[in-house]
Amino acid sequence: MLIVKDLSIERLDKKIFENISLSLAPGNITILKGKNGSGKTTLLKAILNLIEPSFGSIYWKGKLLKKNLYDFYNNVTYISDTTSSLKKLTLADNINIWKKFFISNINDTQIEIALKTLKLDNYLDKKVGTLSFGETKKLEFLRLIIENKNVWVLDEPLSNLDDDSIELMKQTFEDHCEKQGSIIFSSHQNPGIYVTEEMQL
Amino acid sequence: MKFLKKIIFFYYREYKLNMSGVQDILTNIVFFFLSVFIFIFSIGPDKETISTVGVAIVWTLLLLSSTLSLRKFYQDDFENGNLLIIHLNGFSFGFITILKTFSHFLFVQVPFLLSIPIACILLNIPNDKLLYLFTSFGIGSLTLSCLGSISSSMNLMNQRNFLLGSVIVMIFSVPIIIFSVGIINMAQNFNSLINILFGILLIVFAINPWASGLCLKLSIENN
Repeated sequence: MLIVKDLSIERLDKKIFENISLSLAPGNITILKGKNGSGKTTLLKAILNLIEPSFGSIYWKGKLLKKNLYDFYNNVTYISDTTSSLKKLTLADNINIWKKFFISNINDTQIEIALKTLKLDNYLDKKVGTLSFGETKKLEFLRLIIENKNVWVLDEPLSNLDDDSIELMKQTFEDHCEKQGSIIFSSHQNPGIYVTEEMQL
Repeated sequence: MKFLKKIIFFYYREYKLNMSGVQDILTNIVFFFLSVFIFIFSIGPDKETISTVGVAIVWTLLLLSSTLSLRKFYQDDFENGNLLIIHLNGFSFGFITILKTFSHFLFVQVPFLLSIPIACILLNIPNDKLLYLFTSFGIGSLTLSCLGSISSSMNLMNQRNFLLGSVIVMIFSVPIIIFSVGIINMAQNFNSLINILFGILLIVFAINPWASGLCLKLSIENN
């Protein structure tokens, strides 16, 4: 369980946000809403211990996050707003690299099913650089499945997706929650996804 | 055990990436050989002069060619967020820089190491100096990779002045050049000079993870 307590972040003497508290229990979905530049990405980065908060603290499983960092990193998947797949390589190569690098326990049939649901199964031999933006975004979600971790930290996961894919994401989020996973994601629109906590920044 | 596996598959990833961009490595080698040719043509047909300055030319060009690829050291992985993913997979920033430095040594410097004998034939460098050239470049190139890692990580957020990174490497590589060429030209002092060169490598190798790791952390924090 992740707990954020009275978190404030200042950068270059400018307050980005202050006194943010939230908790993320297993099976919960938290949405961070706010305008552009309101600090959604900064908060997500602070949760990942990439930005030093000015005040406040973050706890993971009852211990300070900093003292329990590697256990947290073993349980978290982060998807940023950039495409992390390697553009020079084919889709199959990318999947292969992820599977090995994350020492994934997902088997090939599960990946095939995921590829089919994401409608990416025809592009396996194509280089990622030739795919459209929406398709590379969907490829990022495949990483969620491959990494198979409990806590998902997602930055703007729903931008640039078509209606079918958003529907698919809803389903994926619900399935993950049923498996006692937890999700925190940022979004500036109201996607109609069932959430347990809504946080306005 | 799991950590060891992750390291192995990190290199598998680097191998795949470098093989997909194998033309970049080849371009570096071609640049190296073309520069050697230009030197030969500009010096003229005097065999004696060429063999006297040959070692210095090889070393200078090796340095220049290896700084060409510096920009790619961390930039791609930083821009597409892979550096962050690797960090979240359990590698500290300092450790990433060590892994990356060895990867740069393997995929950029070793091809140069293999092309040295051919350059020696072109520049009429005697065969007995080849061993010294290999040893000095073997140690010197790893030092250059460490320096490259530091300068490249410092320049991650620098979007305008791309040459700055190469300038930093060149300033710090002056002592490496002095002692490396010294090894080849004064073979009787081989042991003492190689100790100094090795000493420089150890200093830079110790500073590298600390300095580059901090730069990577700051760049990701401010990106």
